[in-house]
Amino acid sequence: MARLAEGGAIPGARFVDPVVLSRIGKLDLLARTVVDGFINGLHRAPFFGASIDFAEHRGYVAGDDIRRVDWRLYARTDKYYVKQYEADTNTNFSVLLDVSKSMGFTSGGPSKLEYASYLAACLAYMAHRQRDRVGIVTFDEDIVDYVPVSAKHFDILLHTLDRSKPQRAGSLSGPVGKMAEHFKRRSVLALISDFYEEPDVILEAIKPLRFLGNDLMVFHVLDPAEIEFNYDDASSFEDLESGEQIPIVPEALSAQYRALMQEHITALTTKFSEHRIDYSMLNTSKPLDHALFSYLSNRERMMRVR
Amino acid sequence: MSFLTPAFLIGISALAIPVLIHLIQRERKRVVVFPSLMFLRRIPYQSVRRRSIRHWLLLSVRALALLMLIAAFARPFFQQGALAARATGGTREMVVLLDQSASMGYGDRWQQARAAAHKAIDSLSGDDRATLVLFSRNAEENVRATTDRLRLNQAVDVAKVTSGATRFGPALKLAQSILGQSAQKVREVVVISDFQKTGWTGAEEIHLPEGTTLTPVSVAGQPSANVSVPSVNFARASFSGQERITVTAGIVNRGDAPITGLTTTLDIDGHQIESKPVNVGGNSSTSVSFAPFTLADSNVRGIVKAGTDPLPQDNTFNFVLTPGRPLSVLVVAPREETGDRSDPSLYLSKALSIGTPPPFQAEVTSPVRMAPASLDKRAVLVLNDTPFPPALAGGALKKFVEQGGGVLVVLGEHSTWPQNDAALLPGTLGGTVDRPDGRGGALGFLDYSHQVFEVFKAPRSGDPSSARVFRYRLLTATPTSRVLAKFDDGAVAAAEQRTGLGRVIAWNITVDDSWSDLPRRAVFLPLVHQLLRYLGRYEEPAAWRTVGQVLDLTSGSILVGTRRDRVALTPSSKRVTLATGSGPEFLELDEQGFYELRSTGAKETHPPVVAVDIDPAESDLSPMDVGEFTAAVIGRAGPQTSAAATAEQVTPQDLERKQALWWYLLLGGVLLLATETILSNRISRV
Repeated sequence: MARLAEGGAIPGARFVDPVVLSRIGKLDLLARTVVDGFINGLHRAPFFGASIDFAEHRGYVAGDDIRRVDWRLYARTDKYYVKQYEADTNTNFSVLLDVSKSMGFTSGGPSKLEYASYLAACLAYMAHRQRDRVGIVTFDEDIVDYVPVSAKHFDILLHTLDRSKPQRAGSLSGPVGKMAEHFKRRSVLALISDFYEEPDVILEAIKPLRFLGNDLMVFHVLDPAEIEFNYDDASSFEDLESGEQIPIVPEALSAQYRALMQEHITALTTKFSEHRIDYSMLNTSKPLDHALFSYLSNRERMMRVR
Repeated sequence: MSFLTPAFLIGISALAIPVLIHLIQRERKRVVVFPSLMFLRRIPYQSVRRRSIRHWLLLSVRALALLMLIAAFARPFFQQGALAARATGGTREMVVLLDQSASMGYGDRWQQARAAAHKAIDSLSGDDRATLVLFSRNAEENVRATTDRLRLNQAVDVAKVTSGATRFGPALKLAQSILGQSAQKVREVVVISDFQKTGWTGAEEIHLPEGTTLTPVSVAGQPSANVSVPSVNFARASFSGQERITVTAGIVNRGDAPITGLTTTLDIDGHQIESKPVNVGGNSSTSVSFAPFTLADSNVRGIVKAGTDPLPQDNTFNFVLTPGRPLSVLVVAPREETGDRSDPSLYLSKALSIGTPPPFQAEVTSPVRMAPASLDKRAVLVLNDTPFPPALAGGALKKFVEQGGGVLVVLGEHSTWPQNDAALLPGTLGGTVDRPDGRGGALGFLDYSHQVFEVFKAPRSGDPSSARVFRYRLLTATPTSRVLAKFDDGAVAAAEQRTGLGRVIAWNITVDDSWSDLPRRAVFLPLVHQLLRYLGRYEEPAAWRTVGQVLDLTSGSILVGTRRDRVALTPSSKRVTLATGSGPEFLELDEQGFYELRSTGAKETHPPVVAVDIDPAESDLSPMDVGEFTAAVIGRAGPQTSAAATAEQVTPQDLERKQALWWYLLLGGVLLLATETILSNRISRV
């Protein structure tokens, strides 16, 4: 971690913030669903394996390891039963990062894309630390960069984050549809975007990601100016993506704008919750460690409840 | 207000700068990039709010400051008004001459003229006084020198176009009189007119007071087309005892473009009897003859109309027709009519049976057979070398004469005159005088100013003095009589005595060929006709009169034989009472149309009517050069009173320098800029 934090050797290592990691270092990024993996890890696998968690008994069949025969049960029933245990495995962790032009917006602090990069790097670091395979897909109106999941791709992921520049307009449905075709295994997916589309359209776009049983986490990154709309003077507002300009008198519109934005966030929260998708809105003015700690703590607590 | 250097006014366009600063610039300088306008687009767009100006006061101060600075550089000054008066040395006396002649009714000239009059009146200020003079043929002082502009403006609003002709002379004379009585130092005449050439002869003697400024305001505009009916002729023919009239109207086109198919109509007593299309070339005239019609009644109204144009008044021509009325003559001769050369009335009777108009209806009788009733409805009584008829004694003749009858007393050797009626005769009868010597006597003096001999005034129009007179009856003229002719020996040959409305003429030679050869001369016929027309008070009935003429109710043939109380109904339906003896003796015809002279007592199917038309000169709209007009008016007023001289005395530079408005404007502008600085600082702090 110290090596990464120094940031000199690997481009993008600056995104792995020691301050953030020091706060969330004791937390795990666990998949809420059953995932596929090759090696033992922190996540539940769909198969029975050699973990300490008892799963069930089944009748002995020729070829079973006699060490797994439950002798106590044989004593009671005079039949051979084999004990089966849950399997724990590692998983694939992919970051789906929106790099459209709107993500380049900033009202003073880090841009949304920078903030999202910090977030992606931290999550990937956590996954990488717990022996999960990590990958990244950046997209705007199409897929921009694709780094396949691999235990060795963390550095490439950081490099990709470093290279990402907001250049084109964004759209979810096109690129997300293509991504869905690539994820063959059940994975943990972290989708990071500013979601400037209608909630129904967004949901329709990301539904395919859920088809394979992927564990989808959605991070909605917004600048405080987008939430508060604290402009004063009448100005021409230019759309970052389309270049369209509208003359605006903020003092007349701010209240309506805030209401519409809040309505949008509420709609997204409701709809994602209905589809068992973790949704988290992140304000770039808030420290990432606080936001991430809060999110992961909640997630762990929810896991326990389940 | 005028400007000495108006080019600086271009700087007014700089007023747009503060507006641009407020409206455009402040928005252009700020473009805020925003991730997405998704939500902003959903909010209704408030353009008014966006474009509204928040700091009205600041904008006004900036604009006003700029305006004042620009105006200061343009060097403004007042040519009229209180400031100008102060600069030029006193209050003004203005006379506004507003032309209200018929030609001002062309198109919108009258509206323009009224607007110009209002403008002139509104230029008055303080103690300036103005007089409004409305003029056409005559000039009328409508509002006398007053400072009350409201009253003047109201008078202009009330004024209307009349049917009168244009004459500048009376109006300028009136202005001259008003300004001459004024004690004001600055005097000005504003003439608002279409400046028709026909209204100015150049012979008017106008002497405007010294220092008077003449400001002509022309509303003539572009050369204007106009069609008019200037006159109508009548051809009379007798058919089955009635007159048939053929009306021929003249049509004049004063425009450059020829006119084809101009609808010309003839209305008789309100009924259109014929309509004809007429082609008239540009700037030319033509005539149109209508089918003859029978004239059965008297005072028949006729109207000829020729199309329509912006000046409709001259497209209509009114006239009145009356069948020719014979002049009834009673000849009293010593003997009955025999028809031979011994008949003393032979030449007279023959002369009366020849010639028109008017036809003479002569009846010859003897003194014995004559009765007092014989004078009823007679216009003229001829006592042809006859003793005074007994029937006329006792005041009958006097009554006849006083009521307007005419008497021709042909003095011969049989003529006698009673002492009672001596006052009726223009002199005292004497004996006969023979002129046998040589070639006889002749008429040596004729009063050509008298209506009887007026026709012989011109050369080669007949000479009554060529007749030889061998004998005449002596008459000693009374002082109240008028001698019309004398013989070459100085004796009276003809004299006239007026009594009441009637006339008595004594003719001292017989009208047969025994005393002179006059009856055999060519002049005899016109002489007799003139004598009887004069005595019978015959006047050629005018088919129409022109606006501005005066109708003489005492001598006109209009009311002959119908002398009773009457009411004149004007074309605009006003009533003028014409009571016999007490009413006006003259009726001024100042409107176009028909004046109806209705009887207050008896009902009449065709009361006397007078047709009145506008002066044909009003149809000629060609304007004169206004500069020449000004020069003609001012030039006659002496070198120091010319407009040029006045202009030299007070130049625009002088006016501007004396008024020094630029100084105040500059100071005001600077003060406003200081205010603007304070205001904008406060606003920017907020």
